[in-house]
Amino acid sequence: MTVTPEAWAAMRLPAAVVPAAIGGPLSAAVRARLEGAGYTRCERIDRASYDALDPVEEPELLDALVTLAVSVTGRDLSVRAARVMRLRPGDYALVRHDHVHEDRPIEIVLDLSEARVPGAEVHYRHRGQVFFVAPSAPGSLSIVERGPTVLCNHTYVSRRPPARTALRLVALLG
Amino acid sequence: MWAIGRALDDEDALRRAWRDASPFPHLVLDDFVPAEALDPLLEVLDEEPLEPYAADIYTFEASRPEPRTPGVATIRDSFADAVTPRLSRITGRSVRRADMRVYAYEAGHYLLPHSDHQEGVGRALAYALYLPSPSPPTGGELELFRCELAAGELVRAESAALVEPRPNRLVVFEVGDASLHQVREVLSGVRISLSGWLYP
Repeated sequence: MTVTPEAWAAMRLPAAVVPAAIGGPLSAAVRARLEGAGYTRCERIDRASYDALDPVEEPELLDALVTLAVSVTGRDLSVRAARVMRLRPGDYALVRHDHVHEDRPIEIVLDLSEARVPGAEVHYRHRGQVFFVAPSAPGSLSIVERGPTVLCNHTYVSRRPPARTALRLVALLG
Repeated sequence: MWAIGRALDDEDALRRAWRDASPFPHLVLDDFVPAEALDPLLEVLDEEPLEPYAADIYTFEASRPEPRTPGVATIRDSFADAVTPRLSRITGRSVRRADMRVYAYEAGHYLLPHSDHQEGVGRALAYALYLPSPSPPTGGELELFRCELAAGELVRAESAALVEPRPNRLVVFEVGDASLHQVREVLSGVRISLSGWLYP
């Protein structure tokens, strides 16, 4: 881990990536449980298109992620909300599908994808400009402070080969 | 000067086609530019620099909103002079002015569903003229959606028409809250077009 709470506090727009937050076997086990829980299709095509699972019944995993986020941000955090987003080829979530948060919660994005999905990223924007990219990197945890000027979008997932699916656990901590 | 072929000649038939088009008024006109005028047009467009553009809703290459070469500015203005009287009669939307950009969608480029309508901007009609490509595209179709709105918000949408980006094909459609459309992802090749809006 490269970001300390001191470094985090010094950032104008705090954001960081923990590259290998969970290992492949745990990720695969979580994916299997989520698959069994069943997804709901979110399809408002002028805003977003993806499969959603909400709430997320993964208390141990969420506890571990909160611990990691606390160690990076130095803040006292707990889970306010969590959901899983599964973006298949052709899926996306635009900025207008997102919400402004006034009280600076922390958003975490755990990449649960089976493999890297080229070009599939979460773009965090400050006044419209991308300032942080949550990469497609299986096992990685992105941690972002959601200030009142911050909005995000999940980029379009390409239909071109290898046409993979992106799977993300997104949680709001505060 | 812009040369148009005979595609807009039968105004009565085109008026009916416009009115009856689904999911919202549009026209698809093939062989729009006479064959002998196409190469000179492409030569002018070749000089216009393209730049990458990306946002949450799109990624493509395009010329700047205001042409950088006088040739494209001339083409834009003469296109407006040539087509707006006829399109005004055919569509019932009074248009006089056009903007115009060159677009190049390469593999992986897309434009996600949107309506083009912006309050106060005055876009009446949208158009795209698909051009010959050195590497003809797969994908890149213009997809039109039938949609249901409630209090200005989209509540339901379904794919209702697909327009292939065939060379020398002009597509024109009405701009409004319900004119939801997208450019499907280009899967290979390059989709080149001359596109913009027509204004009162």
